[in-house]
Amino acid sequence: MSILKARRVASNTHIHTLALITSRLYIQTCRFKSTSKSTSKSASTMKVLCVAEKPSIAKAVAGHLSGGQVQAHNTPEKFIKNYVFDYDFGRPWGNCQVTMTSVLGHITSAVFPPQYKKWDYPPPEHLFDAPVQIITSEDKKKVAENIEKQARFANALCIWTDCDREGEHIGFEICEAAKKGNRTLDIKRARFSNIERAHILNASRNLISLDHKQVNAVASRIELDLRIGYAFTRFLTTNLRTLGGPFEKLILSYGSCQFPTLGFVVDRYFRVRNFKPEQFWSIKVMHKREGINVNFGWARNRLFDRASVVVLYERCLTAKKAKVTKVQEKPTKKLKPLPLTTVEMQKMATIFLRMTGQQAMEAAESLYNKGFISYPRTETDRFDSGMNLRALVQKQTTSQSWGDFAQNLVNGGFQQPREGRHDDKAHPPIHPITYVAPSALNENEKKVYEFVVRRFLACCSEDAKGVSTDVDILYGEESFHAHGVVVLERNYLEVYIYDKWTGTVQLPKFVVGEQFEPEEALMTEGKTSPPNYLTEADLIALMDANGIGTDATMAEHIQKIQERDYVRTVPRTARSDDDEEVVENAPATRGGRGGRGRGGRGGATRSTGRGGGVKEFIPTQLGVALIEGFDRMNFETSLGKPFLRKEMELKMKAICEGRSTKEIVLNESIEQYRHVYVQSQQKLAVLKAACREYVFQNSG
Amino acid sequence: MNLATQIRSGLQNQGLPSPSLSWIQSAMPTRNPLPPLPALTATVKTRFLATDLTHPGLLEAPGPTFPPNPANPEVKEIHLPQDVLVQVLDIDNLSKSKWEQVEELEAIARGEQTRGREIIRLPTGNEEDEGFGDAQSVAASERPTATTSSRGGGSAAAAHATSASKSSTHRLVLQDCTGQKIYGLELKRIERIGVGTLNIGEKLLLKRGATVARGTVLLEPTTCSILGGKVEAWNKAWMEGRLARLREAVGADNRN
Repeated sequence: MSILKARRVASNTHIHTLALITSRLYIQTCRFKSTSKSTSKSASTMKVLCVAEKPSIAKAVAGHLSGGQVQAHNTPEKFIKNYVFDYDFGRPWGNCQVTMTSVLGHITSAVFPPQYKKWDYPPPEHLFDAPVQIITSEDKKKVAENIEKQARFANALCIWTDCDREGEHIGFEICEAAKKGNRTLDIKRARFSNIERAHILNASRNLISLDHKQVNAVASRIELDLRIGYAFTRFLTTNLRTLGGPFEKLILSYGSCQFPTLGFVVDRYFRVRNFKPEQFWSIKVMHKREGINVNFGWARNRLFDRASVVVLYERCLTAKKAKVTKVQEKPTKKLKPLPLTTVEMQKMATIFLRMTGQQAMEAAESLYNKGFISYPRTETDRFDSGMNLRALVQKQTTSQSWGDFAQNLVNGGFQQPREGRHDDKAHPPIHPITYVAPSALNENEKKVYEFVVRRFLACCSEDAKGVSTDVDILYGEESFHAHGVVVLERNYLEVYIYDKWTGTVQLPKFVVGEQFEPEEALMTEGKTSPPNYLTEADLIALMDANGIGTDATMAEHIQKIQERDYVRTVPRTARSDDDEEVVENAPATRGGRGGRGRGGRGGATRSTGRGGGVKEFIPTQLGVALIEGFDRMNFETSLGKPFLRKEMELKMKAICEGRSTKEIVLNESIEQYRHVYVQSQQKLAVLKAACREYVFQNSG
Repeated sequence: MNLATQIRSGLQNQGLPSPSLSWIQSAMPTRNPLPPLPALTATVKTRFLATDLTHPGLLEAPGPTFPPNPANPEVKEIHLPQDVLVQVLDIDNLSKSKWEQVEELEAIARGEQTRGREIIRLPTGNEEDEGFGDAQSVAASERPTATTSSRGGGSAAAAHATSASKSSTHRLVLQDCTGQKIYGLELKRIERIGVGTLNIGEKLLLKRGATVARGTVLLEPTTCSILGGKVEAWNKAWMEGRLARLREAVGADNRN
């Protein structure tokens, strides 16, 4: 016994001395490295493990922090490298030995235990309360092991995942993996929104804590998506299989975002299909003066009753003379765009860049990973006043295409951007970080980069200016209105080629009180035309307004419902609606940016950007059947409507803001969906009937 | 009898046409003792405005009526020689297509309405803010007092009164006490006229000098004063049948 004890003591001392030696050795190397520094650090240099969300960010951040003095080691996962270097984080960590690595997005997934593998038993509704396990995803095992192993050597962990909800949760997954290797880690998080050097260095010296509220919100979302998605997918698939035909082999996937998204498409489809055109009548007055044909629009615009218009028209003619009641000439402008958000970028990309929202997001993501633009997932449409925007403009002066414009801004044309009302408090609006030559980018990246830069320069430029003239006349008892715009300074329009503002003819002189006999007064007629099928931009706008998905995931949901063959896109057919064009509402101008108000800013600003190449979303028979089936079940919250999902999205937000908790939200939402599930089960016949009607085309 | 005369002069003082004394008698509450005169007058006024104008014996013998054949489209223009009391039989917003109105009504029936691009869910019964009840009853509800509350607060009432914008033009079907019908067209906007705000059976006073053009009375604030009231049964039937009528008018089959 005693001998044994003595031995252990002896070996202990042995180890102790060894440790002393290594640390001393280490001190020497440190001294050697930091000769210029006044004080050498104490013996225990911190070892910090830094983990980013993806390899490109790890590489970039490691590059900035190390100043190039970096060793890259391979890991078992071929996409991931561990970068080793020294770095001084400032207080409290000080000078540290750093290993920077990354994950590849989420490393864990939520799954049901194996006994729930079969689709028909236990019945799908059991999935609402079945246990949920969080496991390391099969394809992420090596990633997780690398973190765990590196954590063993570290004193601290610094999370460098993207700063949004999803990133926060990935950060949490990293923590959990690291804790398996080392339970005593000091954990911090870096807050950054682009990978420009100064920004990254600043982030590294202002570390914060992981936000567990956001982590919980995402955890709730993941669990709900799993339960609801599985339960309804199995419910639909197994129950509709009995219909035979195409259903026999079909997997009918349900997602709580996909269905409302599909719902929008189906809803519009029926609005187009059910549309009933109606005739309307109007009165147009034209007067020629100074060689210019001045067209006056009717204040009533149009009426859907011929006899009434005839009565009013006759009284105009009887009056013979029109009297000028108002002449107003005033400066007008077309506002420059707001700073760029994700949703806006996706919408614009689908309209002007001939890309899907998904493609635009991928290109933007890649541009961000390479450090050319800021983080592309943001709701913020105002720049922080502290940002040095001029410096960013300066970087664009080298461009062949917009360099001159940027130079003009630098030379004094710079104006602070407009401020929108949204601020997600995490990221600035999307903006270019540095200049990159187009030749270094692929096609989509090039287009998105150009758009981001032009938008940014437009924001830093000046509104376009013009002068508008309004002339009101009273003709009999009826009012008419003429409007003219002359564009004087194009300003931001020079660089922002996506906006159009063309002036109309300048109106000739009219004087208040003068009377004249109009040269022409016509009673016109027209017909209403159906709305268009949804474009991707419309769909994104609808999802945004109704809280379906986050700005970052909308494009994915749109992609999904196409992959599931619930909807298809077809090129917009040129409809001959020119002749049925609605009489333009004279005073209310449209197109004025951000213009909810009809206050007549703007002028003649009809966007001509639409048209060629635009794709429209049309539901498949299957898509129609599913939505109609649920809608006809007639319960309060059809799965095809946005309400349930919107509520869920709001609850996530409540968790983030500390107004609710994961437990409360899970309970409430699961109950709601369980309720819908039970109702759907009871009214399954309705759903089946809709499928027969639309998919097999036999009604009844 | 004396009391009825007093009530009648009370009504006249309010600028109302005179109901016959016998009708006033019949419209008086049977309560004993009778309430004081002002309350009594108010009661009779309310009943008067809620009564079908063509009810025999409602008005004193030479009731103010349209000149003969008022709806004659051959006549380019005449002016009313005297004030004429009329009631509203129908109202149509000519600025909106019928289909647009159909879509709005159907959205309300589903419990939704859109605000811009957002689909709003309307409160459905026993919500905390009482007084709204379910969608149907709100749609058919009493006229919102004063102007419909502004959009703040997601007020269902505001969402409902099928809002007539400033520039809307309405056409009414008006009827005088002899049963003659005529169109009334809003020549100038009158705030109170709107689908859902103007009741069926509501009484209007067309003033002397009002223009009738091609068989249509032109309504302006100066020559048309709205007295209020409604015939409950008509109004209810009109509201309930509105969607079907609109659908039929545009040639859409009525499903439901």
